[in-house]
Amino acid sequence: MALPLFDVTTDPGPSFQNLLKMLSIPLSVPGATDDPIHATTVVALRCEEGVVLVADRQATAQAIAARDMRKIAEADRFTAIAISGTAAAGMEFIRISQLSFEHYEKMMDETLSLEGKSNYLSALIQDVNLGTPFTVLPLVAGFDINHNRGRVFEYDGAGGCYEKDDFGVIGSGTPFAESALRLGYREGMSLAECIELGALAIYEAGDNDPFTGGPDFVRGIFPIVVTVTSDGFTEQPEPETRVIFETINQRRTASKGRAGGELR
Amino acid sequence: MTMPFYVTPEQQMKDRAEYAQKGIARGRSLIACIYDYGVLLVAENPSASLNKISEIYDRIGFAGVGKYNEFHELRSAGVRWADSTGFRYSREDVDARSLANVYAQYLGTSFTDGGKPLEVEVLVAQLAIRNKPTKIYHIAFEGTITDETRFAVLGGDSETIRTRFVSEGDDVTTLALTLQRAVRALSGPERSIPASDLEVARLEDLGARRTFNRLSDDFVGQLLA
Repeated sequence: MALPLFDVTTDPGPSFQNLLKMLSIPLSVPGATDDPIHATTVVALRCEEGVVLVADRQATAQAIAARDMRKIAEADRFTAIAISGTAAAGMEFIRISQLSFEHYEKMMDETLSLEGKSNYLSALIQDVNLGTPFTVLPLVAGFDINHNRGRVFEYDGAGGCYEKDDFGVIGSGTPFAESALRLGYREGMSLAECIELGALAIYEAGDNDPFTGGPDFVRGIFPIVVTVTSDGFTEQPEPETRVIFETINQRRTASKGRAGGELR
Repeated sequence: MTMPFYVTPEQQMKDRAEYAQKGIARGRSLIACIYDYGVLLVAENPSASLNKISEIYDRIGFAGVGKYNEFHELRSAGVRWADSTGFRYSREDVDARSLANVYAQYLGTSFTDGGKPLEVEVLVAQLAIRNKPTKIYHIAFEGTITDETRFAVLGGDSETIRTRFVSEGDDVTTLALTLQRAVRALSGPERSIPASDLEVARLEDLGARRTFNRLSDDFVGQLLA
């Protein structure tokens, strides 16, 4: 490919999306087939130190397609992006977002603000989703270094972006995960408390929603737990997430599967 | 009837080269050198925001001297080239040699074709990975590519700086020592350049995918002390 030079009137600026259009490279996100199942559940919670995200690992077609999918990605050091919807489109969406933020940073010699990132994704969702049945719904959570706090953004299928001051949930298991969060969430929770509550919400979703996978003790596959604080994006190591889910599982076994009160 | 003046091709090229060289010589120089863990890029640049050195890709850095708007345009085009190539194929397929070639193609065409020749010299540096070695490609204003094995000097006074740098020793050594040598070569014996007037960046594996990072004035001060 020759050097991509533009004159001042057609310059795509720091937007990677515009650049692809100028170069006639299609955004290779496939349109939906007839069955746009939100085969996932991801929760993001705001806490004192930043944000916590927990996501299940299952991808579902007619049967279970994958048990170890990773639905939370590091968009950049202080931003996590999670996806629900068609897996192929979602993975591509993550790739484009990561590249877009990095592209902006290199072009401008400055990092895009967290709000700038969330707004940029609105346009990307519109590009990807409109004209086809809705296929990708992301969740963006990160630590805003300009305002020194964790922030969570949810989207609708048309690209509308909504900032949440407590928690965000996406995917097919939303009713179950959200119920758990609504009952358990308090103002000013710590990182450790949010990890516990987020894990419980995913456990609930995995327990009730056929498209969401819970902890898989047989294969040793556990939901992914990510924190984003002033130190940046960190994924909890597998041994720790195992302990978190084993604890919930033991409580649930003791109560013979009933969830409620102290036995949650 | 007026006859156009005949100018021999030799004269024409000479004039254009002279024009470009003059433009380049007006700015300060820069030096890129390989040290034991990566590539160091050092430029004399009193401006803290108008950069001469920048990141192109995970393992590729860029540096330019001459007219700011011209090498800045090349820099942006390089980032666009790299990001779109990486998107279309894979991150591994973004290669400094290909980028150096497209730069050379563009500079060469601008030099021979009608318009004003570009008053820039640029450099593309790549940090080694698997089958790709650490490389420094120097692309001159007329599109000549040189594949430098140890270091490259860009800018007006490059021959003097080159001689000074070589006289300090030609071995691959630590970051601090390499930086000290580079700064001494840039400044010459009569003056010293304060850390705030230096723009320093490196390509080094520090555990992240992206290997380019700028060195702060404080860190540069420490390394020079």
